[in-house]
Amino acid sequence: MTTAVATVHETTIGWSQSVAQARALARRSVIGTLRQPQVWLPGLLFPMFIAAVNTSTMGKAVNIPGFPKVDSLLDFLLPASITQSVLFGGLTAGSDTALDIQNGFFDRLLASPVSRTSILVGRLAGASVTGALQAVVFMVVYGVFGVRIAAGPVGVVLLVAYAMVLALVIGGFAAMLALRTGSAEAVQNVFPVTFIGLFISSAFFPTQLMTGVYRSIATRSPITWMVDGMRQQVIVGLDWGDAATSLAVAAGLAALAIFGAHRALQARLRRAS
Amino acid sequence: MPAAQSPPIEAEGLIRRFGDLVAVAGVDLVVEHGEIFGFLGPNGAGKSTLVRMLTTLLRPSGGRARVAGFDVVAEAGAVRRSIGVALQDAAIDPLMTGRELLRLQAVLHGIGRAEADRRGDVLLERVGLRGAADRRVGTYSGGMRRRLDLALSLVHEPTVLFLDEPTTGLDPTSRLALWDEVRRLNHEGTTVFLTTQYLEEADELAGRIAIIDGGQIVREGEPEALKAAVGAHTLVVVVPPTQEHAAAQVLAGFGDPRTAKAGSVAIGLAGGPAALSAALRALEDADVLVEHVELDAPSLDDVFADATGRRLEGAEGDDAGPEEPG
Repeated sequence: MTTAVATVHETTIGWSQSVAQARALARRSVIGTLRQPQVWLPGLLFPMFIAAVNTSTMGKAVNIPGFPKVDSLLDFLLPASITQSVLFGGLTAGSDTALDIQNGFFDRLLASPVSRTSILVGRLAGASVTGALQAVVFMVVYGVFGVRIAAGPVGVVLLVAYAMVLALVIGGFAAMLALRTGSAEAVQNVFPVTFIGLFISSAFFPTQLMTGVYRSIATRSPITWMVDGMRQQVIVGLDWGDAATSLAVAAGLAALAIFGAHRALQARLRRAS
Repeated sequence: MPAAQSPPIEAEGLIRRFGDLVAVAGVDLVVEHGEIFGFLGPNGAGKSTLVRMLTTLLRPSGGRARVAGFDVVAEAGAVRRSIGVALQDAAIDPLMTGRELLRLQAVLHGIGRAEADRRGDVLLERVGLRGAADRRVGTYSGGMRRRLDLALSLVHEPTVLFLDEPTTGLDPTSRLALWDEVRRLNHEGTTVFLTTQYLEEADELAGRIAIIDGGQIVREGEPEALKAAVGAHTLVVVVPPTQEHAAAQVLAGFGDPRTAKAGSVAIGLAGGPAALSAALRALEDADVLVEHVELDAPSLDDVFADATGRRLEGAEGDDAGPEEPG
């Protein structure tokens, strides 16, 4: 009898239950973000502000020989703004994880029969959905100011997909840091790094017009590969090759980040033994 | 032994070390079905560390424990399905509503949406939060958070409930309301493992208690039996600092000295209340100025003092061991 009872209870959590748990935790993650305007609003307004300043002060830069052919600098900046917003917003996945650890909610999850992987998947899925919402907001707002996606509806879908994968990248790295340190402050300290990474890339200026070491670094930056691929969809038209490169780089980084976050989760769980 | 027949909680030589610090040093424990078992001790005694081991959040360094019939290490998943846990500080997401959190907790336990909503409604009604169900938890008072925490721990109808200092920081009214709810749950058959640093709480709720100090259980039994074992009433007299020694000498003739707070002298009054007037006359005859006098029936604090040489009431400290998830 003992064996029978134990077997029933020791059955590993089924796939469908794990998915349901991850979905519920993702929902919590999205709700938590949306209910904190102080968290998501700067991530939307700051990139828009930078784009507005750049467009008004450096709008004529589009006439420099070698600059990609665009109607306005705003067309050029749309993928950069989405990238910037998602990078900032994705950090929330890490800082919220750290807060869960600090305030004990993580223990509540661990004391329940939730799949440990679902805790991480739920958080990252929530970040990904938030990333998609951010991309849509930027396309709508920039659209009001005349920006059109040259690749049409497929381009819109590609940009949304890109934002979702990019959110997994930054969310994964931030969650890894949170699980390693348990500190929301440590996660927030990553913010300047993402900021520098953006500026040493093609996000705000084409690499072909850069010079020296700056250009050398920018052309090798994964941010450049990701942004350029998406920019093609906005300013030129549908280009599956560029889109695939962009998404593949993002997916590769996402896989690395999720692997790191999963290892950090395992390490945190092992630390108790 | 089948899960239904084995004691809900049993620990044998349970040990937890954090580096050189031994937070729990070989605890043996059996809690029977339908009990409210009070686990009493000052901060830093090892209460929370023991609870974290029993609830699978912390792996023991030694010994073994079974909860709801399952080993806390080898069958941790089964333990988690069987227990309800309300940890210290009521860690509840302030951005979600009470109803949303109950639904989330239900999904984590594999309960379907319709059933989750039904149980959520019942529990919200039960803990008096129906009116606040759709408000964010961040707007709740401390007492409301604790009641929601209790509801969350009950959503999957556990057979064993762990309450880790559930009333710490609550006002008296909220504390009494929570006590009533714990009693009600127990009457319905739930075994409750309650840690507390409040003597009154343990006395009021628990059918049996264990006192932990320095990671070891120093007393265990029914509160009344433990108090009776301490023996006589405690006579406490407050005297001027210069007369403490003289008072102690006089009172030594009426019973054994007991641990007392600074500025007072305490003895176990061998003759009970009948000997009080004689003791006070003796102090007067010795020209000791008695500023205040108390005659206390044996309390759990006396039990604690008898076991450890210290008073629990007013004790300050920090709980042992780093917080480690697991």
